[in-house]
Amino acid sequence: MSLFMEDPAHFSKSRLKSELVAHNVVLPPVKSRKEIYVDLHLKHIAQKNAGDFSSDDEDQENDLAAKEEDAEILVQSCLTDDDLKAVLLKHGVKAGPIVASTRALYENKLRRLQQSEGQGHVNGVEKGVLYSDSEEEEEQGEQEDGESGSEGAKEEIDELSNQAQQGSSQNGDFVYPQCFLLSSRMRAHATRKWEPIPKRNSRNGIKSSQQIPVGITKASSVDQRSGLGSGFPSGTHSAVSNGGSSISPQQSFSITEMVQEMEKRKSLFSCPNTERELNGSNVQEHWSRFNRPDTPIVDTMKNQSPYYTPKESPYKMKPSQEPVKDTIKEMFLNMEASPTGICATRRRPIKGAAGRPVQYIYPDSPTTIERREVERRLVPIHIQILVFFIVACLLYIIYVCVEENSFNPFVALLDSPGQGSESEEGLVLQAETQVTPVISRQE
Amino acid sequence: MSSTSQKHKDFVAEPMGEKPVNALAGIGEVLGKRLEEKGFDKAYVVLGQFLVLKKDEELFRDWLKDTCSANTKQQGDCFGCLKEWCDAFL
Repeated sequence: MSLFMEDPAHFSKSRLKSELVAHNVVLPPVKSRKEIYVDLHLKHIAQKNAGDFSSDDEDQENDLAAKEEDAEILVQSCLTDDDLKAVLLKHGVKAGPIVASTRALYENKLRRLQQSEGQGHVNGVEKGVLYSDSEEEEEQGEQEDGESGSEGAKEEIDELSNQAQQGSSQNGDFVYPQCFLLSSRMRAHATRKWEPIPKRNSRNGIKSSQQIPVGITKASSVDQRSGLGSGFPSGTHSAVSNGGSSISPQQSFSITEMVQEMEKRKSLFSCPNTERELNGSNVQEHWSRFNRPDTPIVDTMKNQSPYYTPKESPYKMKPSQEPVKDTIKEMFLNMEASPTGICATRRRPIKGAAGRPVQYIYPDSPTTIERREVERRLVPIHIQILVFFIVACLLYIIYVCVEENSFNPFVALLDSPGQGSESEEGLVLQAETQVTPVISRQE
Repeated sequence: MSSTSQKHKDFVAEPMGEKPVNALAGIGEVLGKRLEEKGFDKAYVVLGQFLVLKKDEELFRDWLKDTCSANTKQQGDCFGCLKEWCDAFL
């Protein structure tokens, strides 16, 4: 989270305000300047985060409990004004100007809408994930994890594979329960991953820079999947992509953010295969791989049905090469998710406290993701500008040519009457000269 | 909604000018004080909020409730009077 708090001076005033409110900081007078807000922010929130981060390894649960309070607000307060507006629009609300004085109202409205939608549709956006009928399985998984969390890796693997087999043996659409299990774990996993970053950021700056391209390609592929997948799968995918690569479908993230996310991953899993996970951060793949290593058919089904994407194939190859390490990662996931043991309603705030990218993802419905996907595939803006200039130049040239052409006829028109008058004058002169001799003769 | 209050009629009858915030219908001494504390000292400031919420009743009511914890009737009075004023003068 503090990744994005590193420079509160870049925040909008309204956001600073709402974050201060979220952290129970007394706001300065209404007409204060932004610097005052920034100072307050640095003083209160940065310190608080530092405290959180320093202690998160020891007592994560306490932190989580503390964060849950303000996370609800943070979920939406970390959206930019435009994003909030977009999300509201997605919910069918035409929001007016979102400014400091209206933002809180719109956030409330959005929260209410999301809650009502979450109750309404099982396969809805984010609440659908939280409250859907597979909740029991999820919780069951959580409980099992909690029980076995301390007992070691092997048992967990067994449990997980058991769950997977249950899911797959039920019917064809075992994908969904799997997704849920995964997403729940990934969510918790992601939140924890956010925390230790600032301490370790500085250490592996160089290393991470090598991973930038990987991150980018990863993000795009995740994008495609989540964009192309329809309905529920894409919803879960965003969650998966979160936990897996920590790269959201959001294209607005800068490379530095991605780098930092990479670092996070690196710092958490200091084992050498982190890079592998970075490369093939399709955790769903790992999951299915390690659950059913002996049944490739099931595997392909799992991979194909929710994604509808050809991009899968390169990632399919990778997990099969090192399934053992994947299991280690999965164990990590579970180990981290297990201590919570809290129901989904309480987990949502945690995800909120995790930081901006996660928050970006959750409010996204498949439609917005698809829209962003479409936007992403549109011609880049600089090419658009280039084309615009070319067209403008063409039009200007045409205009100049036309003007020249039209100018010439005009000149001709202008010239011809002059010539005409001249000739008339000449005629008159001639006539006069003809007349004058006549007159002179008459005289 | 049998009839509008005298305050409502007075407010809607003329441009609000520099009227204080408690000239608004539904905003009395207490609510006016609260609003002034939040910086909404004039009726036109509340009007600004009303307009920036695009005259949306629900949002405005919410805002009024959040800002000065007005009850439903007060919210309705204030909203109605601003709405009517806007219809007349905007």
